[in-house]
Amino acid sequence: MPGTAAVMQKPWVRWVITGVVVVLLVVLPLILPEFANTTIARIGVFAVAVLGLNVVMGYTGQVSLGQIFFVGLGAYVTAYGVSQGWNILLVFVLACLIPAVVGLIVALAAARLGGLAIAMVTIALPLVGVPLAKRLSDFTGGSQGMSARFSSAPEWTGLYDDQWQLYIVLLVGGISFLLTRNLVRGKYGRAFAIVKGNEAVAGSMGISPYRYKVLAFTIASLLGGVSGFLYMVVVQYTSPETLNFGHSITLLASMVIGGAGSIIGSLLGGAYYVLVPQLTNLIDPGLTAVLQGAILLAVLFVLPGGLVSLPRLWRRKSVPSHPSTTSEEKRQDQ
Amino acid sequence: MSTHRTKMRAISVIAGIGIVAMLATGCSRGDSGGGSGSTDEAAAPSPGITDTTITLGITTPLSGPTAGPGTCTVAGITAYFGAKNADGGVKFGDGKTRTVEIKALDDAYDPQKAAANYDQLKDSVFAMTSGLGTPTNRAWREAAIADEVPQVLIQTGDPIFSDPKQSPWQLGFVPTYINEGQAFGDLLASSSGQHKVAILSQNDDYGKGYVEGFKAAIEGKDNIEIVKELTYEATDTSVDGQLTELAASGADVFFNAMSITPLVISSLQKTQELGWLPSWFLPSNTSSPTAILEPGGAAAFPGVYTVSFAKSAASPAFAADPDMVEFLANLKEYGDYPDVPGFPHCSWSYMIGATLEQVFAKMTEPTRADFMEQLRTISGFEAPLMLPGTAVDTTKEGQPAVSSVVVQKYNGKGYANADTFG
Repeated sequence: MPGTAAVMQKPWVRWVITGVVVVLLVVLPLILPEFANTTIARIGVFAVAVLGLNVVMGYTGQVSLGQIFFVGLGAYVTAYGVSQGWNILLVFVLACLIPAVVGLIVALAAARLGGLAIAMVTIALPLVGVPLAKRLSDFTGGSQGMSARFSSAPEWTGLYDDQWQLYIVLLVGGISFLLTRNLVRGKYGRAFAIVKGNEAVAGSMGISPYRYKVLAFTIASLLGGVSGFLYMVVVQYTSPETLNFGHSITLLASMVIGGAGSIIGSLLGGAYYVLVPQLTNLIDPGLTAVLQGAILLAVLFVLPGGLVSLPRLWRRKSVPSHPSTTSEEKRQDQ
Repeated sequence: MSTHRTKMRAISVIAGIGIVAMLATGCSRGDSGGGSGSTDEAAAPSPGITDTTITLGITTPLSGPTAGPGTCTVAGITAYFGAKNADGGVKFGDGKTRTVEIKALDDAYDPQKAAANYDQLKDSVFAMTSGLGTPTNRAWREAAIADEVPQVLIQTGDPIFSDPKQSPWQLGFVPTYINEGQAFGDLLASSSGQHKVAILSQNDDYGKGYVEGFKAAIEGKDNIEIVKELTYEATDTSVDGQLTELAASGADVFFNAMSITPLVISSLQKTQELGWLPSWFLPSNTSSPTAILEPGGAAAFPGVYTVSFAKSAASPAFAADPDMVEFLANLKEYGDYPDVPGFPHCSWSYMIGATLEQVFAKMTEPTRADFMEQLRTISGFEAPLMLPGTAVDTTKEGQPAVSSVVVQKYNGKGYANADTFG
């Protein structure tokens, strides 16, 4: 279907679609019920975390099991900054920078190891993070956690809190997605893809696999920090439980289910992370773990490429097409 | 064809967002939302209550490592009100009889999910209750205050929920860690002999609470001396080093504020190996006769003490107790819990049901505000399954609904009340 691709390339089509989406995002928070708003805001929070994981895993092919650590770090930095009464913009910058710097330091060491060793190092992060968060109780509030209610809607807006919080998530999350999309589609994205494909080839082309792995890991940590900030905007509370290693695995599953190496897939992954527990709660609160496992298996059996491959599956069924077209479209979707 | 596809794409985006909105079960904006819940008509019913029903919400871990106790937090209260509903309902102070419905959601001990569950329930339930866990209750404590939604009789020992200044819409149910440590300290201080105490505690608010309560109770008592005090981390897999050091102190009483089951068992064994045989104090949640004391060989010690306020369902001593028989029957019939519970949380949750019934009987207006007012007026109420000497008392400022515990001593099979030390 080169026709679809051609139309999608036309600037006016892209502008119209973008315009419709932006208008929807501005209008919807005003008309949706409160619980829908908070749910969408939560999806935004975890979509950014999954996006970061996608940069390092989906695009660069390095296994990271520690993404939740950076989310938690960002959340703790935000909570601490707010409790100290710092300017919120400064808090936001720190919530991005501190996880990024920690990620950089870890990556400088871990990326040298290569292969599964990186995964082992990243497992250590949440495992160390939980007792650390309990121990450093002067900064973290210990195992009782920390609250920070800084995201109430200002008077002049006339908005409800949930609407205001959703707008913050949409703005910050939207910018994160836009920047990441540009990054992975440009020079860096191509470099990531080569590092993922074959490190030796990357090296022979003058692309240092080490440097790009460190870069991808640092960006993932930074996005984790952004997600942590948004977590505090929406949830307004963090505790050592936030850093639980299990959440890291759920984030990973969300990324695979949404679609590895896909921007839209990250969004779908965030939706999976938030909606599936709510859905299983509606079916039977006593069986949530079993149902979530069943859904995970079902999606992976039917859609090995993740939810993002669903439209492709439809198209393949309706119009017979040869493999080269599919791979071209895949690039379009990203 | 191509433009059609583009249109389809745009439509699918819109549809996708629509699905998200629909999945997030709709609740209309209207009166609630954003915390602007002030109403002109004082006696207008709060959400979740009609002339014939009242709905209570629970968010608690029903999956994951804490699912065992978590399931109990729902089963007990469901069993209690299930039996009441079968008899026609619960009588309220306004003369109406209502049936009680329970909406329970799983949070898997994740604070983020607990907060989401609260958001989902707050407009359709009258009050939130019985949920287990400190972080999972803290996550939405401030939101509940802002929305003026009761978060009461919850199962956490965190004292913040029982401080009406910090938590006007909250009240804890179970005794705090401080209450427990204090009860043992009082018993020890009242004994006639001289005692040397060795303390081992978990290095977090759990261990600190126990030690704080214990020290407060023995302050100024000449017959009690703390000879050695050590801590360990919740992540430690062995405390052999600490035990060896404590054994050398020659203490005859060992106050062990430990929350990790395997560590308690190995501590019981290690101290015997070392030939150190003191009297023990263990917290209420790590003193199970069958799961901990028997495998640890606790019969070798002169005494193992713990505290409790509920009759133990597993104990043969209460097998014929009428409260217990009724409780187990209700649990089976209405609580969807056919086994004899191995966790005290089932009994606690049942008592929460009984306490709520007392509050309902005093409520003259179907409002959350009146509920909170009446909630703080219950005193001297002996809920079913409570041990003699303990009672629900919500009138003590800064204390949870149950702050009285009795010290018990292990007798080789189960526990019996210990009025004196030794």
